[in-house]
Parts: sequence; structure tokens; C-alpha cells
Amino acid sequence: MRVGIEVGGTFTDLVAVDQGEVRVVKVPSTPRSPDIGAFNALGAAGIEAAAVTDLVHGSTVATNAILERRGAAIAFVATKGFRDILFMQRHDRRSIYDLHYAKPAPPVRRRDCFEVAERIGPDGTVIAALDEAAVTRDLLPALAAGGYQAVALCLLSAYASPAHEMRLKQMIAAALPGLRIAASHEVAPEFREFERASTTSLSAYVQPVIDGYLDRFEATLAGAGFTGHFSVMQSNGGRMPATAMRSNAISALLSGPAAGVVGAIRQAARSERGNLITFDMGGTSTDVALVQDGEAALAPETEVDGLPIRTPVLDIVTVGAGGGSLIWIDDGGMLRVGPRSAGAEPGPACYGRGGTMPTVTDAHVVRGTIRPDAFLGGGMSLDADAAHRAFADVAKRLGTDVRGAAAAAIRLAVANIVRAIQLVSTERGRDPRDYALLPFGGAGPLLAAEIAEELGIREILVPPNPGVISALGLLSADYVKLRGITRRMGLDAETPSVIAADCARLREATEAEFAALGLTGPLEHRLELDMRFVGQAFEIPVAVDPAELPRLGAADLAERFAEAHRRVYLHGGEPGRKVELVGMRFGVRRRLDALPEVRERAAGLARPESAEVVTGGATVQARLVDAAMLDLNEVVVGPALIEGYSSTSWVPPGWRGARDGAGNMLLRKEG
Amino acid sequence: MQLDPVEYAILSQSVIAAAREMGVKLVRSAYSTILREARDGSAALLDARGGTVAQAELIPMQLGSIGRVFQPCAAMFPPETLEEGDFLVINDPYSGGQHLQDVFFFHPIFHEGEVIGFGASVAHHLDIGGGSPGLNAGARDLYAEGLIIPPMKVNMARDWHGGGFERLLRANVRVPQQTMGDFDAQIAANNIGVLRIQELARRYGVEKVRATMAGLQDYSERRMRAAIAEVPDGTYWGEAMLDDDGMGSGPLPVRAAVTVSGDSITVDFEGTAPQVGSNLNAPFASVISATVSCLKAALTSPDIPFNDGALRPIAVKAPKGTLLNPNHPAPVRARMISVSRAWNAVMQAISQAVPEKVIAQGYDTTTAFCLSWLGPAGWSVYLEVYGGGYGAGIGNDGCDAVDNPLSNCSNTPVEAMDQDFSFFRVVDYALRPDSCGIGARRGGAGFSRSYRILVDGPIVSHYSDRFTGRSSGIFGGGPGASGSCQVLRDGEVINLRSKDAFNLKAGDLITINLGGGGGYGVPSERSAALIERDLEDGIITKELAENWAK
Repeated sequence: MRVGIEVGGTFTDLVAVDQGEVRVVKVPSTPRSPDIGAFNALGAAGIEAAAVTDLVHGSTVATNAILERRGAAIAFVATKGFRDILFMQRHDRRSIYDLHYAKPAPPVRRRDCFEVAERIGPDGTVIAALDEAAVTRDLLPALAAGGYQAVALCLLSAYASPAHEMRLKQMIAAALPGLRIAASHEVAPEFREFERASTTSLSAYVQPVIDGYLDRFEATLAGAGFTGHFSVMQSNGGRMPATAMRSNAISALLSGPAAGVVGAIRQAARSERGNLITFDMGGTSTDVALVQDGEAALAPETEVDGLPIRTPVLDIVTVGAGGGSLIWIDDGGMLRVGPRSAGAEPGPACYGRGGTMPTVTDAHVVRGTIRPDAFLGGGMSLDADAAHRAFADVAKRLGTDVRGAAAAAIRLAVANIVRAIQLVSTERGRDPRDYALLPFGGAGPLLAAEIAEELGIREILVPPNPGVISALGLLSADYVKLRGITRRMGLDAETPSVIAADCARLREATEAEFAALGLTGPLEHRLELDMRFVGQAFEIPVAVDPAELPRLGAADLAERFAEAHRRVYLHGGEPGRKVELVGMRFGVRRRLDALPEVRERAAGLARPESAEVVTGGATVQARLVDAAMLDLNEVVVGPALIEGYSSTSWVPPGWRGARDGAGNMLLRKEG
Repeated sequence: MQLDPVEYAILSQSVIAAAREMGVKLVRSAYSTILREARDGSAALLDARGGTVAQAELIPMQLGSIGRVFQPCAAMFPPETLEEGDFLVINDPYSGGQHLQDVFFFHPIFHEGEVIGFGASVAHHLDIGGGSPGLNAGARDLYAEGLIIPPMKVNMARDWHGGGFERLLRANVRVPQQTMGDFDAQIAANNIGVLRIQELARRYGVEKVRATMAGLQDYSERRMRAAIAEVPDGTYWGEAMLDDDGMGSGPLPVRAAVTVSGDSITVDFEGTAPQVGSNLNAPFASVISATVSCLKAALTSPDIPFNDGALRPIAVKAPKGTLLNPNHPAPVRARMISVSRAWNAVMQAISQAVPEKVIAQGYDTTTAFCLSWLGPAGWSVYLEVYGGGYGAGIGNDGCDAVDNPLSNCSNTPVEAMDQDFSFFRVVDYALRPDSCGIGARRGGAGFSRSYRILVDGPIVSHYSDRFTGRSSGIFGGGPGASGSCQVLRDGEVINLRSKDAFNLKAGDLITINLGGGGGYGVPSERSAALIERDLEDGIITKELAENWAK
């Protein structure tokens, strides 16, 4: 049996697949010890650990350790003169008119930051040797006395030559064998010292937390007789065996949204769709990603709580528009949706737990797209009157009725998500009309058609059981390892062979790592070259098939870069502008052999033929359909609501829906 | 035309998003460290009359004046006379600009043959010619500060990329690879803005786009007025001092009288020092930016879009011939220092009306620090803009080592400098102990950066302030530390003035020290735990900790 467990902020989701049978379970999360929630989910599903052959786990443990500043006690070591890197940061403010501005707090106190005399130049040559006598005399005793669980090393130019960091690591390891060490050349070997130091310090900060968590988890599993594979989801959209996380905790950050995108990609592949815009609409926010040819784009950097983390992550944009986002009118009279949310308590007004401010969910209730009797397959009854009451004030201030106000709020929520989609598409030089829209999360399929209308998208793919796509993503994630390096050089005749040599080295190292972890079988490779015009600071990644390298000349690489530059900036540089290579990312992937199949869960709910829905300024009778009862290729003509267990799809007038052979619902715009 | 509120909300957010995208692409496709690392540039969308509608929030100082500098261009080249491919360029401080390094580009947005607005961008250029690379500390008039571009109409096909105007610019700048590349980044940003507005006009109709542009300005005005109305009526006075004119003048006062009347404010800088012979003079457009930035930051919520509407409730006056409204052709390169004192004077004035909203003075000095070297491969110019410690507020310590309220430049990574410059190396970058002003809340700490010079012949030129004066604390808080700049040569310390230029030799160690911010409230009200924490972290020394409340 294969099991995916995704620990979220509110709920822990479990998906189990056993010989084609799929079980889905949702239990409350247990934030203080997330593993308890995970094992509760196993219990609720009636699964014996001994029967599980493959367990994939995603959790917010690493992210929460940073957000709540509950990581390990760490020290930070920098080149002499630069112990303040983490406090200087980039000298700018994120909010330019905020007089009470505070920088994001690093995970280490200034008193725990130390220096070593040394200096390496940008080409890797040693300018000043590492002062080993001073290390032995000053640094080692200080590290021993500090009671640290981990130490982060970030020496200048370590991306160009790791020699000093390696020697320092060796000296610390010899003197203080119990101390965990994160060295910047291993964590993020790329230039820009603050971003590299931030990544390295956060890695040291979360590593002991992750180790402790996985120790407990594995011990409990072993105690229950588990003998299968245990792997952990990463933010790059792949999984790795839990053992590999013992040296790479940072890649486990933000794995939840990545799992969702992977689940969406896999589910869409069944319907032979590879170009997708996914959006995962949850309670407080919506995550948006663009998928090209079955691959989600990677971003080289992300941040948690304002602190930069230089590690490849799926390029996901988040907006504060979810089902619980509050609808309000600001002091300039403008209608707003979010970013504040009603949260889990009190939640939307219609939950009847004392909420009085209207939310997006309340707007759905008022306009009729959420039926109070059919929420969560009838498992939770909603208070429609409370939803109406909550909108009274907004309606009055807009000079309309309650239904008009709800419709307005929905349009604005749609616009917020549309802007997030434009960020990952239009702003990156991609036309959204070339993609299918794939909504998931409980609240996604209710808005998908209206979002598609705004963007000119004509096709929507709604996966079965869209509420558990993230957990499904865990089960269908490949084993993936990405390595990035800085390799700065102008494009010339030498470049292709330099790239090929680096590529071969990275390939060898990664394959050795896979072999050591017992990951055998055919491996796929992916190479992205980060290039820019000489003098620019920001690179554009250009994907190159490693097998193609021997045939590519410098001019070919330059032309591919210029094309990518044109897509984003509307120009390909003035004639004669030189192009340089800055770095590259190499990826190894071992694909999963078989993908689990998910079907819609029957709600078994009695429902009327139709219900009233407000759309486009009019009230229409929308047909009501049970998603699980829909026959293959039976066409549902809008207006209609296709109600599933964990979410409902709204099919507006002018749209048609039908289930395809892969179990997905395909919504198409007519004409 | 009357827009329905939802369409208005959607369209206005789309216009703001377009301006933000312009700003991102301006920085990300730029070439010089001053634009790509320090992000010293801004972008905006204007309506057809040049009213600013939405801006990318990068540099507060540049945001107030984009619309203003457009007017002389429009007067000379009315929008209806423009053709496809035309754009307008200007940098003249005496035609509404700020200083010559800030070059403005305006690209008309055509919809069905008609101009419905402009994409605008401004970037601080590393070198724009003039008497010295990057920064001419000794300039005694505008001509010595760089190439003056009056309002110009330029055509992309005819005048750029090999055309006459581009070749003229290229011939007059010392680092054309960077400066010309940054101009291309401005053009890219404007083209993005033009494209996005055209898309909106096609999707929603041009009339709705026009109505949104007007509506967004009215919206900012309404919210500004709502915030001003909560401030008690009255006239409040404030004053702040510059060290000197850089030529030994002694302290120069900037004085502000702030009159709050209902939902409007008038600020009069009567009593400010006369203009000076050095580059501290501030063109009037920059004074408006500084004044409105201060009032917006102190009185309103940060989410109000900064556009022409936000300027409407505020009237600013400065007598002609003073530091804040100089006569042509006084040099203006270092205008940020004078307008920072204008910012301080306005803040001090309103501290009497809204004490809980203001902050103490920070170092609040733009320190422009330029190292240049004519090597075998031509000029190599490094320019960095430094802030210092922030002033403390009623509920928070001042931020350590951060750029000034009127600016928002990032630092250049040391590893980027190591790659790009062979004639110097940064060897130290650290917070300065005991540089914060004491108080119930302490000011932000200042910092220092040291550069080892590796060849003979480079020049350092810089301007700064508060080398003799200090940032004042407020409501009992103490002052922050002063700044300084020293060259250590063969064991001897050479102190440079706050506005200076100096020839360097191999082996020199040059250190720029940036000052701290003032404290808020009486020091004895600070908790012992916070003092102890700062002591452990080396923000303050034992001596200061022991004398904190004495």
C-alpha cells in the first residue's frame, strides 16, 4: 500500500492507494507535534503501518520552525570584517513609507556571530590564507562554550572556491564532533553573500528540528512494524528519501504548495494536458503556478518571513484571496477582498460561529453557488441568513442589494486571482490562452470559469476530489535532486565544453548520491543555464537538453538567451551586446513507475433538480449534478453546479462540462 | 463617465499592477550597480495630461515629481502631435527635474491613434558626463554636473540605436556600456507599461480606462484628506540643520511652518537658508516630493497609492533664492541632503500635533560615495548610496543600518563588487557600537564600510552630512552618532570633510562611517532587559549601558 500524508496548518490529509482502491482521510492537524496528527490520520483510515510499502510525507515543520523562530541555537561564522552580513541585509525597506520599519529578524543573535581571517577572490584564488591558529585559539573555544546545536559557515567567495570553508568545517568537526555544520558552498554555492548566508543560517537553524522530527517519526513507524520506503516532499516538486533530508533540510521548506502542483500535473497528464495554469484556492490564500509541457517552472529563490532562501523552488505566486478572505470597504470607498481573513475562528459568517464580516465563502452562499445543505457533501450545514446579514453594510455602501454586493465581491476575488495568474504568465512572456486552467483546493472550481473568462482561457480541467490534490501529489512525486552552481564566463568557443564538463561532474555526483540512497533505475536529466547580458545582475534561465550540448555553439546559446530576454523585456538587447553564463542548475529525476488513480467520492446526497444562482446581473436556474454520478461523456450544459464531496464546480451559462476517461471534469467555453 | 465600483476596483488594481511590473523590469534588465543593485529608479503611468496615476514604489524621492517634470515636455510637444515611436526625454532640474543624473523617459500610450496616457520611468544614471566621473563634488554650477537634456522629442527608429540622439548621449558618458544599457532598461519598462494599458483599453474600453485613471487620483486624494482631517488644526513649526555648505559656511537652517486646516495642509519653508555655491541646492520639485512623502508616511496608511491625487491636499511654498528653491544655474547634485532636512523639519513640526505618529530624527542623510579610476580599459566607476540608523518611534527601536526615509537604495553585494571592480576591495562592513541615540526606544545603529585601494590613481568623491551635527532624539531621547570619512595611509589618518574629493594611492584604507538615529522618550523608561540584550549583541558597549539612564 502507498500512502501520502500532507500536514497542513489546519488539516492533515491522507491519501492511500491499494490495488487501485483509493482512500482519502482528513483529520485536524496537531501543530505542536505534527507527527501525532499524521499518525492519527493513519489510524482514522484504519491503515496498519506494517502494510505500507511506500510512505511520502509533506509537512510545514521546517517552515513553522522559521515563522515561529523555534529553530535550533546556532552560531554563524563569516570572513573577518563581515560578521554583520545577516544584520546589514540589503539596506533597503520592503515598505517604503513605514516609519516603524523593522528588518526581518535573522535566526541568529549578533553575539553568536564570529569571524575568521581569510579571503578568497572572485576567481577562487586565495588572497589571504585561513588563519588556522586563530581558529584554534579563538573560534573553536567560543563554539564549544556557546552550547550551539549547529553552526553556519559563510565565507566570502566560497561559491568560487570552497577550500577555506572545507578546511574550517574539518577543523570544527574534529574539535566538536557533535556539532552540526552547514557550509554555504554545500547549501547554496552561488554569489551574493547575504542571500547565501541567509540560506545557510536558515539551513543550520531548521536542520536539528527536522532531524528530531524525522527521528521521532521513524521510531514510531518502526515501532508499528513499518518496513517500507519513507520519503519526504521538497519545495522543488520532487521527493527524496528521508535519509537525504539529514543533510538538506532547507529543501523541505514550502513543500505543501509544491505537492499540490505536482498532483495537478499528474492528474492533467491523464487527460493528456501538459500546458496548465494551476490555482489552489484554500481558506486564506490562493497559490498559482504555470506548467509548461508537464514541468512547473522553477524559481531560483524564495523567502520565508522576509528572509531570502536561495534554493530552487517551484515558481508559485500566492495572493491573499481565499474562501475566508474578508470583504470590506476602505476609507477611500474602494471595495476590497482580503488580505485579512476570517481564519478558522470565527470563520465565514455562514459557518455560524459568530463571524459577522462577509467573506468570499459567504458571497458564494448569497449568490447561490454554494448551497447551504450541500457543503462538504452535506456534512456541514451553513447559515444562509448570516451570510446575507453580513453583506448588508457593504451593499448599503455600494448602493446595491445584498446579492449585488456578493456578486461584486466574487468579481473582485476573481480579479485578484487573475492578477496572480498574470504574474506567472503575461509578466513572464506567456499567453494564458495557450494553457488549460486547473483549479483545485476546496474553493477553486467554483471560480474557475469566471477566471478563465477574464483571461480568455477556453478550457478548464477539474480533477476528481480537488480538495486532496496536494496529498495525491505526494504519492505521485518523482525522486528529484537539483544542484545549482555559479560558473561565470562570457560566451565564447570554450563555453559549451565548460558546461559539458560541469554537467558531467554534477551528473556523476548526483547519480552517486542516488545510488547511495538505493534509488536505482533509469534517471532523467535536466539542465538550466542562467544567462544574462554582460553587466546585468539578473539572469534568465534557459533550459537546454544535456544531450544537445555537443551540438551547441556559443552563438546558439546567445540566440536562445536573446529570445528569452525578448519574451520578458520586449527586446533582445542592442546589436553587439555580449552574453555571459552566470551559473547552471542540474536536475536528476527518477520517475515513478505507476501513478495512483483517484475517483470522485459519492456524496449520496438527495438534491433538488435545480437552484437559483446570481450571475451576470441576472438570476438563473442552475441544474444540480452529483459529480460522482456523472456518466462518462455526459454533457452538462451551463448554468449548472456539479457538486462533489470536497468541492463544487460552477458551470456558468455558455460553458459545458463533461467527465473524461481519466476521471477529470473538462469544462469548455461554447462557440 | 461613471464607473461601477467593481469595475473601478478591478481596473485600478490592474493599473497599479502594471506600474509595479514596470518597476520590476526596469531594475531586472538594468546594467549599472546603481540601478540593478541599489534600485535607484522609479516607474509610473500617467494620464494623457501627465497626472501621475500609479507608480512602482521604489524610491519615495522620485515618486512625487514624475508628473511635474512631464509638464514642460508636454508644453513643447503636445501629446496630440506625437507619432508612433516618439518618446520624450528630460533631465533639466530647472524644468521640473531633480538632478541631472535622474533622466526621465515618457512613452505615449496610443489607442486607435490617440494618446491616452504615458509610460514613464526615471533612473539615476551612474555617469552623465560633467566635470568628474559619477559625482562632481567641486561643481559650482549646473553645467559642471553633467549633460543637460532640455525637453526633447526623440523617435525610437530615427534617433535611438545608432541614431543621432543616442550617439550624442553615448559620446558624453564615461561608462556607455552601463549608462546606455540602463536607458534601454527604461525603454523596456515604459514599453511594458504602454502594452499593459493598451491591453486594458482593448479589453474594457478606453473610456473606462480613462475614468479609472481619474478615479484613482481622486481616491488617493480622498484618503489623504480623510487622514489630514484627523490632525488638530493649527500652525506648527519645525527646524533642522545642515552641517555646512561643504566650503566652511557653518550650519544652515531649514525651517518649516506647517498649517493644518481641515483636510488640507500648507507647508511654508520661509526662513530657510539662502542658496549656496555648492551642490546642496534642492530644486523645488524635490522639495514637494520630500514634504508630501513625510506627511504621507506619518499621517496615512502605507497602502494609499502615491499619485497626483495624493499631492492635491498639500500646498508647498519655498522662497525663491533659498536652498529649497534655488535660481538657475546653481548646482543641485546633493539635493537629497537639503530635502532630508526639509523632511526632518516637517516631522518635527507635526510632532506637536500627532506625537504618537512621528519618529525621532534618523541619520537621514543620503551619503553618495563614489570611487572611480581611469584604467587601461577606460573608466571604472563605482557609486553606492548609503543611509544610516533610523529614528526611533513610540513603540519601536529605530531600524539599524538602513536607507533613509526619502530613499530606498540597496547595498551592492561585496561579491558583486569583487567581480566588477579590480581597483579596490571591501574589507569591512559592520554596525557601529554606541552609534544609536539613547531613549525609552533607542535609535537605529549606524554602520561603516572600509575599502582597500589596490592601485594608484583612483579618486574618491562623496557627499554626506551630520559629520559635525547629529540626529536629534525626541521627547527626551538622545542624539545618534555623527558620521565621518577617513583615509588611513602609511599609519596616518587623513580626515575628509562631509563633502569632499580626494586622490587615492595603492594601500590606502578608506572608511566611511554612517551615523545613527535619535532615540524616542526618556532613557530611564527603557527596560533593563533590552539594554542587556543590546550589550550582549555589541550594539552598545558596557560604558554606554552603565550610563544609559544617568
